[in-house]
Amino acid sequence: MSAEPVRMRRVFFREAICRAVRETLDADPNAIVMGQDVGAFGGSYREFSGLFERFGPARVRDTPVAEAAMVGLGIGAAAAGLRPLVSITYMDFVLLALDPLVNYAAKARFKTGGQIRVPLVVKLTAGAKGQGVAHSQSFESWLMSVPGLRVVAPSNVANAYGLMRSALQADGPVVYVDHKRLFPTSGPLDDSAPEVPFGMATVSRPGRHATVIAHSYMVSVALAASGVLAATGIDCEVIDLRSLAPLDLATVCTSVSKTGALLTLEEGQVACGIGAEIACQVQARLGPVRVSRLGAVPAPVSSNSVLEAASLPDAARVAEAVRRLLRTPEIPPPHRG
Amino acid sequence: MLYKLVLPGPIDDLSEVRVLEWHGSTGTRFNPGDLVVELDTHKAVVEMRASSKTVLRRILVAAGEWQQVGEPLAILSDSADEPLPDRAENLAQSSVTYEMV
Repeated sequence: MSAEPVRMRRVFFREAICRAVRETLDADPNAIVMGQDVGAFGGSYREFSGLFERFGPARVRDTPVAEAAMVGLGIGAAAAGLRPLVSITYMDFVLLALDPLVNYAAKARFKTGGQIRVPLVVKLTAGAKGQGVAHSQSFESWLMSVPGLRVVAPSNVANAYGLMRSALQADGPVVYVDHKRLFPTSGPLDDSAPEVPFGMATVSRPGRHATVIAHSYMVSVALAASGVLAATGIDCEVIDLRSLAPLDLATVCTSVSKTGALLTLEEGQVACGIGAEIACQVQARLGPVRVSRLGAVPAPVSSNSVLEAASLPDAARVAEAVRRLLRTPEIPPPHRG
Repeated sequence: MLYKLVLPGPIDDLSEVRVLEWHGSTGTRFNPGDLVVELDTHKAVVEMRASSKTVLRRILVAAGEWQQVGEPLAILSDSADEPLPDRAENLAQSSVTYEMV
């Protein structure tokens, strides 16, 4: 054993989430965790491993398979002064809990003139990884349009930790969306790793020729595509949104002002998607720019791995979309008097 | 005979593991079924158990350190006094059972 304290540790993705939750439960006696298999089992992805043993069944509570009730209980507990994290493993099943989430959690502060706050975190796992039509979806964009909901989506260990820490300090409901394909990953996490504030994107890779915006697992797809493109002299800037509501348009616009070309990338559907929102807002601020959107094909995600892969963006499709975008004529900056 | 202890791969989604705990140290003798080492993965703890009588000769990856699946974690031998090589790469792979728990 080394006598020096370890400052930087390499941890699995699940451990970054677990550490953020553990630190919150240590510091805040009102913080609790609820969900299917969050107790002795330690979470579907073992992202709550050790919490049941440390905090006991009153604060780390297994629930029935009843998403509407889980979120409803979370809202009531939050309104009564607790700070619940409700874990719904597959994002697909938040559909069952949309009524309490949208009509109660998101609106409580508005309906009561700020007298009732709902400091609730709903953690969902999005993304396709061989589990078929009803366990593979990514519909973060649906939730972005709900006033009063904040939506965040980490792409790596450091922001999985930092966003969860921020989510568990927020004074209103937060939807925290992680991804099945991030759980096998690992990365460095400093002992004094910072919280990640909401509404702050980050530049994951600086570049000059095109801006690719992504979030969650698609950030690594964008980075892989950038590596492919770099070999052919195309230099992409990759922006990790991290926070979808609120959006950090300033960081996106700074990048697009420099590159003049924007590819939006998401695993969910393109129609009414995150890319549509960002493309519109960027052009409202900057005027016309070259823009293209890439997302899933308009079909359910198959449990057949070949069809699943065919329906989703991958590095080759992202690289081709950037090449195609850069072949379109450049739009000169608008004249402003 | 000398062996290298490896977690055999490939295992879906699993490229690297972290050593959680060694259940012995240099010179520890294991009988079939004895727990030799526990490994952390992204989703589970992997228990590696001796399949035959063996002696732990050298730990190559300490607790808390990471190793690629298929790369050696330790050197084992049938008897305690066989001279150790400098490198483990060319040794035969030890026979172990492992279980995700």
